[in-house]
Amino acid sequence: MSEEQTLAVEVSAVEQITPLIKHFTLSPVGGGNLPAFSGGSHIVVVMRGDARDGEARRGDGRRGSTRVHRNPYSLLSSPHRLDAYEIGVRRMEESRGGSHFMHDQVEVGTRLEIAHPVNLFALDKIARKHVLIAGGIGITPFLAQLEDLHPGRVPYELHYTVRSPEHAAFLPRLREREGERVRMYYDSEGHAIDYDGLLSNQPLGTHVYVCGPAGLITHVAEKARRWGWPDSHVHWEQFSAPPVGDPFDVFLARSNLHVHVPPDQSLMESIEAAGVEVPYLCRGGVCGFCQTQVLAVEGEIVHNDHFLSDSERAKYIMPCVSRARCKSLVLDL
Amino acid sequence: MLVTGIKSKPVYAPLRADTRGRFHLMLGVGEGEAPLLRVLREMQSQAPQTLGATRVLLAPGPHGPPGSSAPLAPATGSPAAAGSTPDPSQSLCVFAELPIQELRSFSDVPSLLAELRSSLEGALMGTRLYVAGPESFIGLAMKIALEFNLNKDEVRAEQVGTLARRVYCVHCRATTENVRTNIVRCLECDRWLLVRDHYSRRLAAYMGLMVDAEVPGELPPIQEVFV
Repeated sequence: MSEEQTLAVEVSAVEQITPLIKHFTLSPVGGGNLPAFSGGSHIVVVMRGDARDGEARRGDGRRGSTRVHRNPYSLLSSPHRLDAYEIGVRRMEESRGGSHFMHDQVEVGTRLEIAHPVNLFALDKIARKHVLIAGGIGITPFLAQLEDLHPGRVPYELHYTVRSPEHAAFLPRLREREGERVRMYYDSEGHAIDYDGLLSNQPLGTHVYVCGPAGLITHVAEKARRWGWPDSHVHWEQFSAPPVGDPFDVFLARSNLHVHVPPDQSLMESIEAAGVEVPYLCRGGVCGFCQTQVLAVEGEIVHNDHFLSDSERAKYIMPCVSRARCKSLVLDL
Repeated sequence: MLVTGIKSKPVYAPLRADTRGRFHLMLGVGEGEAPLLRVLREMQSQAPQTLGATRVLLAPGPHGPPGSSAPLAPATGSPAAAGSTPDPSQSLCVFAELPIQELRSFSDVPSLLAELRSSLEGALMGTRLYVAGPESFIGLAMKIALEFNLNKDEVRAEQVGTLARRVYCVHCRATTENVRTNIVRCLECDRWLLVRDHYSRRLAAYMGLMVDAEVPGELPPIQEVFV
């Protein structure tokens, strides 16, 4: 996605809502409305500057270092309200910089660029029932989706699991809207979702949606499969942060360009830094938009995406999250 | 005039067991019994325990078993005879020898479809539906499955028997049953309709468009093509 297509927003509110999560409100620069979106959509926030150097790019256009982060965040605000978008950002312990940038350097008045909303986690429109399962920060896409759900129409359940009450982000907002329909599970109090009970007894036409840590998603997906759920009724979203790894070199055949990928920068970021644009939507290994053909590899590709099938992995790579341990890698870019 | 390669035209494949499912509901009409038996045998060898969670519902085909004249079309007003009419056909005995949860035989397609609907109303996630029989029967069963939000990975269908079509008149919205010809007269508005490959899963019918709108009465040759 080229930079011409980004939207300019200004942070109009920031609130620390749990020890780890900050809630940001982003308003369009110059007022007016932002583009419409549907519940489950995410945006990609472009962050210029290096969080670790304490240098940020402020609304005045002052540039920090050239390090650019582009992180996906689910929109949690109502799709019926377009004067601002809201996102929740969890501070990641092993952050490559993005979440620390948002937490440490973004304040009211900071200007950011965001990519247009994209929905890779929409509710099934003809489902007969929805079962929503959120873990921690994974509550965010459901907050927007709930705006389109009404108990009198299609039945739904929301199960929200967090470490402890102080980590239950957006619970007051949920309680206000959903009352006791929100089922809370606190690890600190030994609560656990009864996945077998939940998934063994749902009426035909039910869809289950999971957002949260990888372990939660894997667990729900495995349980669902065990209880005979077909894949088309199981939905999940997890944006992988690009993992760190060994440095490697890549040759972009069409651009005739050699690019070095350092340990803490993703392949996509390194390619972008070299001036070549890779089309993307999610930057988290789920959408498939950046799928790139591998023309040659001497070594092995470290696939970190949730998109490619095993057979596709022999020929393709998702540069947003995947890396290589190799002597040489040639991509069709 | 006939456009081929229309994407909405259903494609069928030989039935295979989906042993990932927890409950298996099988519908067979007429010659559809044979593919179901094949799948049941596959299940028996691969995952015999699944047979205990398998229900088989059968009904005679459009020509019926010997001595029967059950219509395929769901004739309006016909009582959905809650019929477990014993069928003397030999194949029933073959089914009965398998350790399946339930085997029921219906006198006609509408009563079988009524049972399908009430079964799906009480069914749980993990159910798989298998349909085998004439194309228009598959369409009617799929239409009900669609109302219950069953997706492609939960329903399998194999076409055996007649390809005679249900044809929806796009002018008067009536559906003409058992159409074997490329051009048919709408039973409601009498227009001559060209039967297209354009299919509606929601209506379980192929689209029929007036074929002689420009020069009334000037018709291309009528041929029996859906046999």
